[in-house]
Amino acid sequence: MEPSRAAEPAEFLTGRRKFHLFGLTIDECIKVFFGGNAVVSVVVLALITIFLFKEGFGFFGLNQQSLRVYRQAGLEYVDIIRAQQDDHTALTRYLSDLRLRQFNYFTQQQHLAPAEANQRLAGFDEFADRFGGAVGPIRGLVSDLTETVTAIKDKFTNTENRKEERRQLLAEGRTADAAKVEITAVDFAAELKPLLATRPAYVEANAEFARQLSAVIASAPAMPIPDLQARMDRFKQLTGEYLAGFPAVEQKLKTWDYTRPVPWYQTVTSFILGRDWVTASFWQDWYGVIPLFIGSLMVSVVALFFAVPLGVGAAIYINQIATPLEQKLIKPAIEFISAFPSVVLGFFGVAVLGQALRALSQQPSLAWVPGFPFSERLNILTAGCLLALLAVPTIFTLAEDALNNVPRSFKEASFALGANRLQTIVKIIMPASLSGIISAVLLGLGRVIGETMVVLLCAGNRIAIPDFTAGLAVITQPVHTMTGIIAQEMGEVVRGSIHYRALFVVGLVLFFLSLLINYVAQRIVRRYRISIG
Amino acid sequence: MVTAATLMETRSPAPNLRPTMPAAATGQPAGTAAPAAEVLIDIDHLDFFYGASQALYDVSLRLDTRKVTAFIGPSGCGKSTLLRCLNRMNDLIDGTRVAKGSIKIRGVDINRPDVDVIELRKRVGMVFQKSNPFPKSIYENITYGLRLQGATTKARLDEVVEKSLRGAALWEEVKDRLHTSGLGLSGGQQQRLCIARAIAVEPEIILMDEPCSALDPLATAKVEELIHELKTKFTIIIVTHNMQQAARCSDKTAFFYIGRLIEYADTQQIFMNPSNPQTEAYVSGRFG
Repeated sequence: MEPSRAAEPAEFLTGRRKFHLFGLTIDECIKVFFGGNAVVSVVVLALITIFLFKEGFGFFGLNQQSLRVYRQAGLEYVDIIRAQQDDHTALTRYLSDLRLRQFNYFTQQQHLAPAEANQRLAGFDEFADRFGGAVGPIRGLVSDLTETVTAIKDKFTNTENRKEERRQLLAEGRTADAAKVEITAVDFAAELKPLLATRPAYVEANAEFARQLSAVIASAPAMPIPDLQARMDRFKQLTGEYLAGFPAVEQKLKTWDYTRPVPWYQTVTSFILGRDWVTASFWQDWYGVIPLFIGSLMVSVVALFFAVPLGVGAAIYINQIATPLEQKLIKPAIEFISAFPSVVLGFFGVAVLGQALRALSQQPSLAWVPGFPFSERLNILTAGCLLALLAVPTIFTLAEDALNNVPRSFKEASFALGANRLQTIVKIIMPASLSGIISAVLLGLGRVIGETMVVLLCAGNRIAIPDFTAGLAVITQPVHTMTGIIAQEMGEVVRGSIHYRALFVVGLVLFFLSLLINYVAQRIVRRYRISIG
Repeated sequence: MVTAATLMETRSPAPNLRPTMPAAATGQPAGTAAPAAEVLIDIDHLDFFYGASQALYDVSLRLDTRKVTAFIGPSGCGKSTLLRCLNRMNDLIDGTRVAKGSIKIRGVDINRPDVDVIELRKRVGMVFQKSNPFPKSIYENITYGLRLQGATTKARLDEVVEKSLRGAALWEEVKDRLHTSGLGLSGGQQQRLCIARAIAVEPEIILMDEPCSALDPLATAKVEELIHELKTKFTIIIVTHNMQQAARCSDKTAFFYIGRLIEYADTQQIFMNPSNPQTEAYVSGRFG
């Protein structure tokens, strides 16, 4: 009996009857399963990041080439003159605005009939026409030059296409066919000669232009009331500044040199600091992220402006003031908002909120609100309001967590010292949970900046930097966003093209922005944990 | 279990569980304990509920000015609840109510609807079981109560900070780092900081809810010493699980069991010669 009893525990120890799968014990299987899941997530994340970088960085080379051609083909030269023409157009717009103001003054203050008002404005109209007409010769010149340089650029593009064709043929091994492809390098120096030869003509036209403008300005009609006269004086001043800029333009054209190399960093700066996002243009494509970045930022700021007080306020109410019944009702309701598919919210914004806000803005009693009334129903405000709704649950939940982490004993100590509820919240609870609340707000910002559907549907999608001179009214202007542009344009770009890659770089910017926001939020939370102890 | 059953039995034949209430409680001239003592807090037949469950049953108790009174009893006996009734901290818990009876401080029923509870809490300070300085500097911790009352001049605040810290026997240890966080102090120092914070608003009564239960013996000794000094200025009520502590630092002791006041007398009498068998069982360590 003795030996067999001794064998029993030994058999138990060897674990012969343990379950095996692919030669692994059950413990190891569990480890492999969970470890595998973690590894897959990390690998997928790494692959996505690598892909983003790979596709994105190609952009900078292509963009550099594009900028080089812009200079070599003389497009830059023409744009210098065109900028002068555009400035003149801006001045004419100022005049149209002034005319509208006068017209309104005559019809509304003086109660004249429209026809009569127009008659009164005849003198002004003649003045405006002469001002507008003076640019004629310059405009003609620009349009001629545009044709010239477009032709040069086309030649270059053709050459590039041929080169590409030959490369493909060679790759297929059809050397004979490849040899047949003719490639004639563009001789920019020769091509640009006629362009540069027009400079004396330009200088002459410009002098005439300046003379005419000065003459027109000297005969500017007087305005009926001081307010309008002040605007007219401002116009004269602006025109004076405009004229004073002419020598600089001429100087620029004189020193312009198509052989000057495009510095390597310009491809990056033209993206990061570029104020234009122009694609599929006959002239020159520009990939500047600034209008999109500002659009995203403006929409997010407006969203947070609404979401932070709502989210944090609701969190404070639920955590500090509400009765248990209220807590039971309100908390799930707020958290339920995040269950809305964002496309449904966007649809609601297009169909209902935009209309409603516009109708509201046109109430005469609300005319004092900056930006009211507005006519664009899809704008920063509409998108911001909806995004606020999406950010509220994030901010609310995280801020409530932060408030919950404030030890109950702080609250009791404060009450025991004779503080009332408000004093306790403001002086003890809020400071103790401040870093948690800040990180809640940051994560709300991350949620908002990455949101796509709502901004695509509701932000108005005008690719332009909003006019900040309008003050707060800027929020009633339409914008386009970084997320929106990717969603909108990715479907219609040629794979591998500069435009395609530019969208990837926008994606990279978003990626780094989110990374930064999350990193900062986590840092703040960590510090907060230490300070509470 | 046996002891509990015995207790149940002993209670039923003796419905009057306050045989040793001081003479003052029955309206006769106080002669037994301290002839000069003046009644400050008068708890009269108090019933208290947490929602549906009753926590205090018919508690009557009179506490004297400038004495240290200890509340002792096993966990869940209602001593902390009664303490928190005295500055109405129980208001912060949903569903609590005083069903019957009254608590009068200087003759004013503190549960009357027109009583300003904020004013009450300024008069009745509190020190908690776990030290709970605010996550602010030592200086701000102490001036918090004063600032709530509108005191803002620096000279006045400085004066009170020094006075309170000296009063809490902490001044020498922290005078060079008044503007560092209160959370950087040791456990015993934090608790004394909380006492300093409570006395800074110059209350009449200080409630201490097991102030030493989280402290080591040395820190406990310091706090006990402090209690001894504070009683010259304040009326102190201390809840404690530590019977030696009650014996060491209190003038009077009240023993509670399952929501009832079993015995209230001079501390010496409670520990040397308790008149109730339950009290004797508890103080001699047979249960609890």
